[in-house]
Amino acid sequence: MNQRTFLWMSALGVVMAMAPISSVVGQTASQTSAKSGKSSADPKTPWGDPDIQGTWTSDDTWGVPFERPKQFGNRATLTEDELKERAKNIEHNEEFVESGGANHSPAKAQIDAKEKGEAPPPPPQGRFGRGVDAAPVPGHWGEFARRASHQSSQIVDPPDGRLPPLTPEAQAKLDAKMKLRRDPLPASWANWSIYDRCISRGVAGSILPVIYGNGLEIVQTPGYVAIRYEMVHDVRIIPTDGRPHLNSNIRSYMGDAVGRWEGKTLVVETTNLLPDRLSIGANGDGGAPYSEDMKITERFTRVSPNTINYELIVDDPKTYTAPWKVAFPITQEPGYKLFEYACHEGNMAMHNMLSAARAEEKKKAGGDAGQK
Amino acid sequence: MADGKPNLTGLWQAMGTADWDIEDHSAQAGPFFQLGAIGAIPPGQGIVEGGEIPYKPAALEQKKKNFANRFKDDPEVKCYMPGVPRAAYLPYPFQIIQSPKDILFAYEYATTNRLINMGKPLEAATDTWMGTSNGHWEKDTLVVDVTGFNGNAWFDRAGDFASDSLHVVERYSLIDANTMNYEATIEDPATFTRPWKINVILYRHREKDARLLEFKCVEFTEQLLYGDLVRKSNSENPGK
Repeated sequence: MNQRTFLWMSALGVVMAMAPISSVVGQTASQTSAKSGKSSADPKTPWGDPDIQGTWTSDDTWGVPFERPKQFGNRATLTEDELKERAKNIEHNEEFVESGGANHSPAKAQIDAKEKGEAPPPPPQGRFGRGVDAAPVPGHWGEFARRASHQSSQIVDPPDGRLPPLTPEAQAKLDAKMKLRRDPLPASWANWSIYDRCISRGVAGSILPVIYGNGLEIVQTPGYVAIRYEMVHDVRIIPTDGRPHLNSNIRSYMGDAVGRWEGKTLVVETTNLLPDRLSIGANGDGGAPYSEDMKITERFTRVSPNTINYELIVDDPKTYTAPWKVAFPITQEPGYKLFEYACHEGNMAMHNMLSAARAEEKKKAGGDAGQK
Repeated sequence: MADGKPNLTGLWQAMGTADWDIEDHSAQAGPFFQLGAIGAIPPGQGIVEGGEIPYKPAALEQKKKNFANRFKDDPEVKCYMPGVPRAAYLPYPFQIIQSPKDILFAYEYATTNRLINMGKPLEAATDTWMGTSNGHWEKDTLVVDVTGFNGNAWFDRAGDFASDSLHVVERYSLIDANTMNYEATIEDPATFTRPWKINVILYRHREKDARLLEFKCVEFTEQLLYGDLVRKSNSENPGK
């Protein structure tokens, strides 16, 4: 979560961060590094590995569509006008955060109107429009981009920024999953995502930007890089000493990650993932559940003191008819810290949602009986 | 390490039965006779210096209540975070990643982890299960001062507990390259009459390619926690 200061607004900070964002799409790491200069972006650990340690966040990609809207076609970056529009939205979000949120919430507007005896305003659509999002929650819950990303989508390959077609098997799994998710009277916890159940968001879900908890910490020691994610307190211990993957009988939500350094880029390959549970999408639940053959390759390249270019390549022929790639920068921000996210320990929602569904069923059964 | 500090990076685990009870205890039957010897509780010598935890009278009553309800109320039953010091002697390994900057402790149980801040000490911003950890070196000993607990964690499966005023000072010191002494000083004036200490030996896993694996236990608790809320026709097979 976020203890936000606005010191980053200094012109220097914005320029330093913008350079790599505009160059992230469609370029290799080496091209990017050449462009953004060398010395300060290449800190080394005492044992000679590139030093990418610190607290990072994917906040700046908040609001960038995962799949590219079709009207953009193969255009990966925004025009100046589109960028201005996105920047305006970010300003609004900043205002929301600074005001503590309450003054802007639709719920507050409804309450104010009622107190004044006026007609309530129509409920807004989208973010802060529905359900708990409409409540006057403290603004610091939400995280937003600090700068407008130039990217028209998080997916950068294929060139149209859209997911490759699913295999028929994967489509069937996606349909079955959506049926469970949309059941108005969920039968059990299995109706909810692995994230809602506070188990994990998986490798991709742990870094794709969402409404809060977009932070991660990287810690290095000789032979290892460790990544700690705020949300659902996930953690990965990544050996970089050349050892092979675990036997494929050992499977897990975060998979088995092995890493290597290619120049200044950390390359992490993850296999041994549990099949048919998590997906590559927001919170690990967007899209089709992946198979036991999923291989995720990530690339972390520090391109400035405060920016890592992050890439995630998805390869699962049983699910997607072609590999595809997501890329965005993650940044270091003043005052941004990770807090303990005790998800399962505080998961009253699961209890409440299930008991509500059973109560609804009981009411319905009683109503039907009464009509007879 | 290059900075002259002892190298604690590795996979560590306590032996013994402290997680069953940090005080001396005899062998006992477990809660489920169906499990026979597998489900029984092994005997163990305690890890509390002086043998007994110096509870205040009201706290001792609470501990006894906890013990009576231990197979229902122990946070470990529910896959909740273990807190400190319990995380150190759970029957699961944990990985230390020692950077010249901060030090990461990643526990296999429930994917619990905490970062030891080795820089300027930070005040706990909010109360948490694992607390806020500030570390420093005293010669070759890593000293970690932990505050900001929420008071929900237990010390063991026997119901030993503390309040949210708990303050733990941990001391990690290598005995040799593969053995480490773990000492924790427990202070909580709301619960104990005086500060007290525990001592555990931690052993480095030396198996070839030993790694921290994933024990996400939430899904093993869902039937227990929400089973009574499952649609009846579906309760036999509620899914993965």
